Amino acid sequence: APLIFLQNELQRERYALSASLDNARHLGLRVTVEDAKCIQANAFIQAEIFQEFSVQEESVMFRVSLSVLLDCLTIFGTSSLPGTSTALRMCYRGYGHPLMLFLEEGGVVTVCKIHTQEPDELLDFDFCSTKVVNKIILQSEGLREAFAELDMTSEVLQITMSPDKPYFRLSTFGNAGSAHVDYPRDSDLMEAFHCNQTQTNRYKISLLKPSTKALALSCKVSIRTDAQGFLSLQYMIRNEDGQICFVEYYCCPDENITEAEL
Amino acid sequence: GGAAMKCVIGGAQLRVFGRAIHAIARISDEFWFDPVEKGLALRSVNSSRSAYACVFFSSMFFQQYCWTAVSQPCQEKQLALPCKLIIKVHFNEMLHPILCVNVLERNVEKCSISTSPKDHHVTFQLLCRHGVVKTYNLAFQECDPLQAVFAKHMCPNILKVHSRLLADVMIHFPTSQEEITLSVTPMKVCFRSYTEEDTDFSRTMLTEIQLSPEEFDYFQVGVDSEVTFCLKELRGLLAFSEATSVPVSIHFDRCGKYVPIAFSIEDLLLEASFILATLCEAEKEGHPRLAVGPQSCCLAEHPHIYWGPSAHGVSMGSAFTAAKPHPCWEHCQGTGGFTGKDLQVAKASQIINAQILSQNSYLYKYCVFQFHSLFFGAVSYKKEAIGDTFQSLVTASDTEEDFSTLQSSQVL
Repeated sequence: APLIFLQNELQRERYALSASLDNARHLGLRVTVEDAKCIQANAFIQAEIFQEFSVQEESVMFRVSLSVLLDCLTIFGTSSLPGTSTALRMCYRGYGHPLMLFLEEGGVVTVCKIHTQEPDELLDFDFCSTKVVNKIILQSEGLREAFAELDMTSEVLQITMSPDKPYFRLSTFGNAGSAHVDYPRDSDLMEAFHCNQTQTNRYKISLLKPSTKALALSCKVSIRTDAQGFLSLQYMIRNEDGQICFVEYYCCPDENITEAEL
Repeated sequence: GGAAMKCVIGGAQLRVFGRAIHAIARISDEFWFDPVEKGLALRSVNSSRSAYACVFFSSMFFQQYCWTAVSQPCQEKQLALPCKLIIKVHFNEMLHPILCVNVLERNVEKCSISTSPKDHHVTFQLLCRHGVVKTYNLAFQECDPLQAVFAKHMCPNILKVHSRLLADVMIHFPTSQEEITLSVTPMKVCFRSYTEEDTDFSRTMLTEIQLSPEEFDYFQVGVDSEVTFCLKELRGLLAFSEATSVPVSIHFDRCGKYVPIAFSIEDLLLEASFILATLCEAEKEGHPRLAVGPQSCCLAEHPHIYWGPSAHGVSMGSAFTAAKPHPCWEHCQGTGGFTGKDLQVAKASQIINAQILSQNSYLYKYCVFQFHSLFFGAVSYKKEAIGDTFQSLVTASDTEEDFSTLQSSQVL
């Protein structure tokens, strides 16, 4: 089930699962997790990915324990043998009812009932395309190494985006010294480069490091910042059937550093 | 004062450089980074002081190599001498990916290293695929130099063999095998797993590989010998040597305490030496027990050198007579006995004691770990063992710095 590999990326202490129906474009399932009121991660699974998808109400939203949900989804084990597939049916009756999962593999059926809770108020980063100052789209392959090698003794990950050199730079400031990875605008990894203003922002590295998992699964990533330095990372993930899902992260900056201070 | 250096490594040399770092990393997680006018020396010693490595890349190894002395404006009478910039670099989370062999071989097109004493940074810049540039600015602190001198030409046994052959031999030993024994006679060479006395042979796999003299590029066995050394430290050197296609020379003597074995490679562009302590089972028949040791020295069963408040360091050898002038190998300086208090100093400045050499003239043939520390030179020294040997060392010294240090320490 395509659901399983996506859910595995979102591992946080606080969990929220929301299924939403905003408009026809966004018909599907959206899983949201947040941490420290600074970062929000969303996984979108479009309705088309499901063999059957029906939502009776305008908007359906509830909260469940993510680790419990993951445990249920992987109840038959995490490794898939060739030739076997797990079928999933997910049902929710409405407010006050548990989330029902029916999983079947090789004739064995498991029924899971997960208690639902009141959904938390989700952060609204108000990140829309009109407010974007800088945007780049990179092939994920180019970023994977950089993220895997991040110096975790640094408290922050500094992101510089600029119409001039260094164009796109990831920096850390750790115990041993500083490290910078520069991606030039004409690199063949760069699919799109729209930077209008030089911006340097720092984000808590502990909040962004988990996004490495989404990066590992994705083929492309879009990196956008707005005037306040809020960061949006969108990962395009292609599953085995060629269907596309998105995982996005929104993160607020740790500090704002103006060009003068650099 | 200090030195400013900038060098660029590209193409095939990247692979060699990466493997050299990797080999040094097998010895210890920190190395001495010493750029000199003629090239770059990297040195390392393990915590138990039983293994030492030095790799020297001549300036010709690099696509570019620039070195300039940066001397501080100093007192009136002093000449502006080129000062050394010696720093210790740790293999930490940040450095490891940079110098990881795989990364260098696959993704990096060029690596440039530059130092600037006033900035207190060493900068590694890697030009990678897709135009990506990775820059690492490492803060450093200057430290005492580390050097070892080894009179290879004094060794009665010298073998020279292509690294491929050695690698083919070593591959038969399980990776868990820590120590192997090399035994030679003029007729044959044998590598076998080393086993402790209390080994349960019914549960152990023993490997033994015999080679005939014809398989060696150079074969000289002056004395029958059986020495045991740590294999782990050698594997890195073998991979490095394969990358350079330069044969490996093995220098050693008959089994005895404080007798090291040296594995080295040398060509026009680089020189590397890995000096390992050997284990000697003195009770073995046919191997005369080496008469060693001053009473004051702790005669550990194992020639490893332990550093710590309770240990009395024991070196791997002693001063030697004629030194080959070379940026990598400096002349020996006498150092004497030490007290517990001096050990604290030694530990603090990370230097290796060469105390044993003062006491036994036999040991003068072998290597000594030396250090240019004024502290150490000032320590008491037993004069009777010096003799003429040391005298010639002093006069043979060809660097002004050494000479002045020696004089001020009043060793002789």
